[in-house]
Amino acid sequence: MTFRLRLIIEWFIIAFLANAVVITFLQWDITASFDNLLYDGLSETARPPADDDILIVAIDDASLKEFGKWPWARDQHAQVINNIKKLEPRSISLDIILSETGEPEGDKALSEALYGAPLNPEETPSNGPAIFLPLHFVTPGNDGRAFDTILPASPFLDPKMGQKNLGHVNLTFDSDGILRKNNICFQASEETPMWPHLMERIYQNRHGKASPAMEKAVKKPFCEAPVLIPFSESGSISTISYSEAANGTMLADSVRGKDVIIGATAAGLGDNYPTPSSNGSLIPGVEIIANMLGALERDDFITPLSLWQSILISLLPIWILLIGFLRWQPRQILMASGVIFLGLLILSATLLYFGFWFPPGPALAALFLAYPLWGWRRLQAMSYYMGRKLRELESEEDSSPLGLIQKKSIDLVGKQRDTLDQAIDNIRDLRRFVTDTLSGLPDPMFVINMDNEVILSNDILNQRIDSNLVGGDLSNAIETMVRKEDRPSVWQYIEASDIESADVIIDQEEIVRMVDNYSSSYVRFTSPRGRNFVMRRVPLLSNEGEYRGYIHYLADITALARADSQREEMLQLLSHDMRAPQSAILALLDGKIDEHAKQSIANNSKRTLQLAQDFVEIARMGETPFDGEELLIDSLVEEVIDSLWPLANERGIKIDLSNISEGSFIIGEADSLSRAFMNLLDNAIKFSPDNSNIAVKIKNMEFGKTTMVSITLEDQGNGIDSDMLPILFEKFTTNRGNEGRAQGTGLGLSFVSAVIERHHGSISADNKRDGGAIFSILIPESIEGES
Amino acid sequence: MRVALADDHQDVLDFMTSILEEMEHIVVTFPDGERLSQGLMRDTFDLVILDWNMPKKDGLAVLNWMQEAIKEAPPVIMMTSRTAKNDITAALNAGADDYITKPEDRNVISARISAMLRRSANSGSFETKAVYGKYTLDRIEHKVMYDDKEVTLTAKEFELIDLLFRNRDRTMSRDYIMETIWRTNAALTTRTLDMHISRVRSKLNLKPENGFRIFTVFGYGYRLETLN
Repeated sequence: MTFRLRLIIEWFIIAFLANAVVITFLQWDITASFDNLLYDGLSETARPPADDDILIVAIDDASLKEFGKWPWARDQHAQVINNIKKLEPRSISLDIILSETGEPEGDKALSEALYGAPLNPEETPSNGPAIFLPLHFVTPGNDGRAFDTILPASPFLDPKMGQKNLGHVNLTFDSDGILRKNNICFQASEETPMWPHLMERIYQNRHGKASPAMEKAVKKPFCEAPVLIPFSESGSISTISYSEAANGTMLADSVRGKDVIIGATAAGLGDNYPTPSSNGSLIPGVEIIANMLGALERDDFITPLSLWQSILISLLPIWILLIGFLRWQPRQILMASGVIFLGLLILSATLLYFGFWFPPGPALAALFLAYPLWGWRRLQAMSYYMGRKLRELESEEDSSPLGLIQKKSIDLVGKQRDTLDQAIDNIRDLRRFVTDTLSGLPDPMFVINMDNEVILSNDILNQRIDSNLVGGDLSNAIETMVRKEDRPSVWQYIEASDIESADVIIDQEEIVRMVDNYSSSYVRFTSPRGRNFVMRRVPLLSNEGEYRGYIHYLADITALARADSQREEMLQLLSHDMRAPQSAILALLDGKIDEHAKQSIANNSKRTLQLAQDFVEIARMGETPFDGEELLIDSLVEEVIDSLWPLANERGIKIDLSNISEGSFIIGEADSLSRAFMNLLDNAIKFSPDNSNIAVKIKNMEFGKTTMVSITLEDQGNGIDSDMLPILFEKFTTNRGNEGRAQGTGLGLSFVSAVIERHHGSISADNKRDGGAIFSILIPESIEGES
Repeated sequence: MRVALADDHQDVLDFMTSILEEMEHIVVTFPDGERLSQGLMRDTFDLVILDWNMPKKDGLAVLNWMQEAIKEAPPVIMMTSRTAKNDITAALNAGADDYITKPEDRNVISARISAMLRRSANSGSFETKAVYGKYTLDRIEHKVMYDDKEVTLTAKEFELIDLLFRNRDRTMSRDYIMETIWRTNAALTTRTLDMHISRVRSKLNLKPENGFRIFTVFGYGYRLETLN
């Protein structure tokens, strides 16, 4: 399963869970305790003023003390009602259940007090206050009804109005036992009558019509529309004691025109309940219904949102967050969560202000579920993904050519850290390996990027061209590496091998074909320092086959080129220099073989031999490293003179050796040095006139810290042509250019110069003022014990 | 004396045979190294002269074989056109008593052969006064006369001169010379010997004009050559 797919699936699971939380929590009010707490807190901030038109006549502890224990005789109530009636209230309501008959005298007295006495059908309703009585419900009712209605006993029913002065006083409690809402009306079933609340009766008495809340409530089936009561400050409704009313000591103003509600407030009577306004204590039922009347009057009941409305409002922010999960950065998600949290609370408070109650608890619960869950899944998924990638990296055996040091941790996180460490090390190693490999390549190479900048050049190239190309561009590199004459052809090659479009994507087969193609073409050039190179360039491609730059491989073919020119030299030698004396020998053999001919044959033969030996020696020097031993240069020179003495002696040439050195040892190759001096001396003899002198001088010369041995050869010949002097030591320069005696080997002096160079020495040639050539050689002396 | 001569070139065999017969030696020739080995097993010789480059078995292989197979092997002269220092020392170190590079002068060859035979025949000979051309050695007085004039020499220089003249035309290794004259080679550098040789050469004026020259076999030793 891909990382992406896994994430999507987990997102769906989290979305489903969040939605389920919202719906089920709303449905079953699971966060009720939180929501109620919030509601109580919010309603605390806005308590409506008490309704001034209400007067509560409280059956309080003082009254109980005065009149004895409850229940009291009904003529007692009758007296109180009569007392109140005298003061002309607008209505009198009893929050006292009168569902059973008592003593007939008492009942009669109360009935008279309520409805006037004697009960006279002719009499029109008096101007007396309206009387309202409570009925109550028995839950559950018989015959499957939700409840049965228990009316007041017959003596207490209004003879004129029938049941129209009855209202329910039922209370509805929340799951936490606190009273927050109530129903404006009740209806057990379609067959039974609908009962408005006792307070609704008072409202209708005041205004002559149903309250707006009542109108809304009756539209619901069975009147099932509980509304939340905004409670006034506890105890803020005007109250007088029952005993005051009984004794007639209350002020007339406090009763006149008011809606009087008689009810129990004494703690002992049990008609006390907790409400949001009670602050932990209890509020008498009569005060609760008085609050209801206030709310009816103000029409400020708080309507709880329906389940569907709540669900919609709750899900909206949750879905915003869920979509945000897929699109936002973790930090943004955290911020969004905070905003949604606060937003829900503010929304709830705002709605409450406008008279609606939305419980934010379920949405908050969903938020608190989804955010950490998503965070955890994301972390887990990332950890899993990283772990898998690391394992992949580990399993690629060849990924680290240098091998890895196995680290060992016991715990999982430690292991992952080690693996990551290793992966990072691995990549570092790999990069290092690649760089080292490239740097250490035996052939020069450099790499350019798409912008023609040199991004890599290896050590050997830097060494060969004595500069670093990195940092410069391609044309810079070409100028550094290629001598002027060769640049056009190099540029031509580069242009021909350029890929036309930089965006082209090349597949594997194409790459193979291209590399084939590229490696078969190359350009050859000479560097400004005279080294010969062959250059190939191959495009550098990314893993996806995109063009990234070029690799330039160079091959230093200087040695090869030299070998080529040596082969040329050899051909020259064989075709002319060696053939000529052999032809001469054959010619001489054809004629008369006298002493002179014999001598000529010997000379020609010796020349060929010397040429061959020179050539062999040159070849050997080219192939083998310097292999010197300590030797006494004086003796070596002397022995060379000895060996050529017969040749010089034959023509009366005297070789004078003046050795003013004190035994000069050098590190030298006896073979090549002997041959070199022999060549020089042989030349000198060759170009000396008969009976002349050749002076050989050996002496020490100090040059700072080093001592050099100086060897000079002076002859008395015609000297060297001035044209020839600068090129004297180059190959195939016929010695001295004397056309009359073009018998030089063409190799001799270049060989001599090569030998002297091999000994870290120097050689120069010049003409003496009085004619004759002078050759000077300087070779560094060796210090005793050095070899 | 009986001389075994091996070379794959008939011209060389003829040339060498003429020199040896002039020196009144008996010459037996072999065309290759294989035949030479067989001949050496059957016959006894006073001297072996062999070429390096021969078919079937080259000179160096024959030399090595001789060291192992033949008791009291006769002296061997290696004759070759290989002139490189390393080749010469290789042959000498493999057991050749001397080494002649081709081409070489007839007289030089005959001098080198007689030097070799002289040593092997009468190495114990002792003349109190010996004359070599312009040089006279007095072995009792330890003096050298050159053109009837005495040359002042140290004791070691005289010994060196004596050794060189006795073994003229023979190549001697440095170690041999140093052991003979200084008895021990401890604390002796090659420089010391080189300097002695150089000094002797100039004191006695050992030059071709005077019929002698000292020849250095680089990496191996020295030889005093007599010239005509």
